[in-house]
Amino acid sequence: MKTKASDYETSAMKVMEKLGQPLVEMEDWYCCGAVQSLTEDDIMHQIAPIRTMCCAQEQGEDEVVTLCDMCYNVLRQANDRMKDKEDDLETMNEFLDEDPDYEGGVEVYHLFHILKGMEDEIKDAVEMPLDDLVVAPYYGCMLLRPDNVAVDETEDPEIMEDMLELLGVKVLENPKRTECCGSYHTVNRSDIVEKRVEDIVSYAVEEGAEAIVLSCPLCQFNLDFHQRATDFDVPIFYITELMALAFGLDIDMKNHKIDPRSLLKEKGILE
Amino acid sequence: MTPDKAEDEGNEDVEMVEIFVMGKRYRVPKGLTIMTALEYAGYKFTRGCGCRGGFCGACSTVFRTEDEYKLKMDLACQTAVEDGMFLVQLPFMPAVRAMYDIEEVEPEEHDNILLDHYPEIARCVSCNTCTKACPQDIEVMDYVQAALRGDVERCADLSFDCIQCGLCSIRCPADIKHYHMAQMARRITGRYIHEHSDELEKRVQEIKNGEYDETMKEMVEMEIDKLKKTYEERDIREEG
Amino acid sequence: MADGYPKYMQESIKKVEETREERMDKTYDRMSPSEGEEVLNNFHPDYKEEGKALLKIGPSEGKKVPTELAKLLRARSLVDPSKIDLTQIDYDVDVLIIGGGGAGTVAALWSLYEGIEPEDILISTKLRHGDSNSMMAQGGIQAADEDEDSPVRHYLDAIGGGHFTNVPELVKALTIDGPKILKWHEELGIMYDREDDGNFVELPGGGTSRYRLHSSGDYTGMELMRVLRDESENFDIPVLEFTPAVELLKDDKGQVAGALLMNLETNEYYVVRAKSTIMATGGFGRLHVQSFPTTNHYGATGDGLIMGYRAGVPIRDLDSVQYHPTGAAFPDQIVGLLVTEKVRSLGAQPVNVDGELFVNPLEPRDIEAAAIIRECKGREKGVTTPTSMQGVWLDSPLIEMKSGEGTIEDTLPAMVRQYERFGIDITKEPILVYPTLHYQNGGLVINEDGSTPVKGLFAGGEVEGGVHGKNRLMGNSLLDYNVFGRRAGINAAKHARKASLGKLTLDHVDDYNKQIEDAGIKTDRKAPLLLPEYRGEEVLRRHLDVEVTL
Repeated sequence: MKTKASDYETSAMKVMEKLGQPLVEMEDWYCCGAVQSLTEDDIMHQIAPIRTMCCAQEQGEDEVVTLCDMCYNVLRQANDRMKDKEDDLETMNEFLDEDPDYEGGVEVYHLFHILKGMEDEIKDAVEMPLDDLVVAPYYGCMLLRPDNVAVDETEDPEIMEDMLELLGVKVLENPKRTECCGSYHTVNRSDIVEKRVEDIVSYAVEEGAEAIVLSCPLCQFNLDFHQRATDFDVPIFYITELMALAFGLDIDMKNHKIDPRSLLKEKGILE
Repeated sequence: MTPDKAEDEGNEDVEMVEIFVMGKRYRVPKGLTIMTALEYAGYKFTRGCGCRGGFCGACSTVFRTEDEYKLKMDLACQTAVEDGMFLVQLPFMPAVRAMYDIEEVEPEEHDNILLDHYPEIARCVSCNTCTKACPQDIEVMDYVQAALRGDVERCADLSFDCIQCGLCSIRCPADIKHYHMAQMARRITGRYIHEHSDELEKRVQEIKNGEYDETMKEMVEMEIDKLKKTYEERDIREEG
Repeated sequence: MADGYPKYMQESIKKVEETREERMDKTYDRMSPSEGEEVLNNFHPDYKEEGKALLKIGPSEGKKVPTELAKLLRARSLVDPSKIDLTQIDYDVDVLIIGGGGAGTVAALWSLYEGIEPEDILISTKLRHGDSNSMMAQGGIQAADEDEDSPVRHYLDAIGGGHFTNVPELVKALTIDGPKILKWHEELGIMYDREDDGNFVELPGGGTSRYRLHSSGDYTGMELMRVLRDESENFDIPVLEFTPAVELLKDDKGQVAGALLMNLETNEYYVVRAKSTIMATGGFGRLHVQSFPTTNHYGATGDGLIMGYRAGVPIRDLDSVQYHPTGAAFPDQIVGLLVTEKVRSLGAQPVNVDGELFVNPLEPRDIEAAAIIRECKGREKGVTTPTSMQGVWLDSPLIEMKSGEGTIEDTLPAMVRQYERFGIDITKEPILVYPTLHYQNGGLVINEDGSTPVKGLFAGGEVEGGVHGKNRLMGNSLLDYNVFGRRAGINAAKHARKASLGKLTLDHVDDYNKQIEDAGIKTDRKAPLLLPEYRGEEVLRRHLDVEVTL
């Protein structure tokens, strides 16, 4: 969020400000670890996400919103585990030792949870509908799996489509939208990621997509960066970037590997 | 258990406490630091002793007190002995340190310069053991997390009081070398993030151009009475 | 956590509290020159003739130095030259640096910048790289960079502060190089306290006519030292830790040509041949001149003075020693540690056992120190600690009364932390203080290029003399080690390029031993001291010296 995905953070902050629901960064937070540990007896890897819950608790907050899909997934799963399993919470608090106990009273949300229910505000905020733009929505894994943390129907989500339609965008039906982008294999098995990206992007292009929209920094990086191994150069947007553009807000989109500016100019969205 | 010595009951003037140095039992006067107690007991330091004032981090000591299962860590020169203390000093910390060229680490030109040099910081699980080990009460875990998200300046500020004793790193389950990484963060901050001084730059140029050569020469050659007079008559900037 | 002040001391604290309101706005007149002279003559340790001894041998024969140093200067070498094999050379380098503190590290870096390859440099150090007085300096570093200041003004302040006993050319070097050094520090990334516009926060210091003190919180020395060490590590400059030099080596042409080192853990010696050698061993606080406690680090035993003197380098200004007026006197664990001058600048007053103010808090260091000694030793108005030390109160809670709650925590965090460990809250309770041995004003004679009168030997930092004359100003020691460490490093590198060495010898040690005999000095003492002796008497009385036989 602070480096490669700063486009997501700045656009999201601006958009939420405009919608009258500004986001405030927590005074302290900890890296969630990016991957939820599924091992039953592995409490160690639950500590980082739970510390972030503790930070919220000590700041007197009971709701945490994440922008990143992976953070959402990890925080939510760890938090639910503490709520569901009393023994685990006890073990955790014993380990936390002199630090304040976690009381289990914080809820984790993804940005989509907040946007849902703000349809009217979004409609009102649109100053320049993005009528000409044809996009394919892409959810990836972390927003939808496992079922109990999904932000929408696991097999047939619509939440992103609904939002995009409010912006005036033409939204394609994209059956590949819940497939995996290759995730952290990007670190040392780029061959796997390249294959996934080829598959996802080529389908979208065949259907007529001019851009792909998503909300996960890692998916964004993979789809954006690894297209260099394909014949495509489809811009990959964070949904908040399109919202910002539709709201007439200024954003710099500085970290895109595939520069979206020419497409936006072509569509008359940027001058 | 080391057996008691016969004369140990003797000295009545000074209150004594029992300590165990690497398992060996000694009676030492209450109120000494771990460092002076070791010396009283007959140890002459080569390692494990530096500034004796809490600045150098040479005297990291691991100890526990009676009836306490937790290991504690502190500086021997700053910690008073307690009755029933078991202790050992750590003479050396074989922690790996990343090499870098200060000219090549402009943070704006890298995604995350600290992570590039110390990739192991990504292994932090936020257990906070490092913070608990720190004798300087630094929020060690928080500065590692700041580094992880690329906030070099916050990492530098939080770690500023670090004396580089290495206790954080020896306790870390993720083998992070906190104190070396933080050193790099502080130098990057001083070099690239903080504004530099215009006044200084101006003065350095003036000196280079020889603008003070003549008056300095006069001063150096001035005979002593005149020099004294000049000194006494110089204006002094008052408070405020 | 210890228990704070014992009951009987609490009673004296009550008296301090009772007079606090009334004292708060009171000022104590500064001493007239004659009063000052009187208290110095009667109570300042430097003015006590019985604390000094005349040197009977060596290049500065006839000079007076503290007795503790004199004993070492007339002691025998640690080594018997006849048992040393100088034909087997362990390290053959261009530049050998003796001492891994501030001066040594700066010298190494500038030798390197001057073109010497890292592997042709060697730092030998007694403890770890960086263990030094440099690490402990709290106050700051002087350099004239502000518009309303100038190097010439800095020159005047420094030479006046030294009572005009300084060497003019050295003061010139110190002050004209100041801004250049700071510029270098900026490039290295040292985090100085700065204003929003990037210019430095600058503070006054005793004897400075401008605000010229640059600092990094109250960890200035540590911040400088750890960055310099980090830079040296980035270049992989070789360092031998726990391996001090015990004697300089010369060649048959009379040049200094390296040193004999000793591995402190195995007692093995190493022969280092070097085209240039830089002495950077720091000061001698751990000699505890006149039994004073000290602010110095564990290794500050004046080794470089001994080795340099034996090799023929004269010494100067060692008859004056800087005592800091306020060292900690309680609790015992921190006796002698520095209670920075800032505490008095912020408004704390020195008061006696009855809670009476007895001296202006901002007299020059020597007068302030003498007045505190007079209160304890002359007037018996000091407070006696459980370990029979004397001290007077420094009434720190006044700071909060004058400048508001929280001032102490904001300005002196390291000190608050230090006393908290012993159950003392310096925002509410006063601090017990007594003068402490702080700095070796004089040292080995050098020229402005950092060279000593003996060819092949250079020196920088506290070990050399002349820069500060008989009294150093606050903030000029950090600058000294940078300026003369740098000059020594550069010129040692230049010298190394053209030097050619002859056969290594320790003849000068034999000569020195002979001088000792000829002067009729009977001594079993050996020097350099390397490390002070703090072991318990009981243990030393029963100590067995078990020699290993092969």
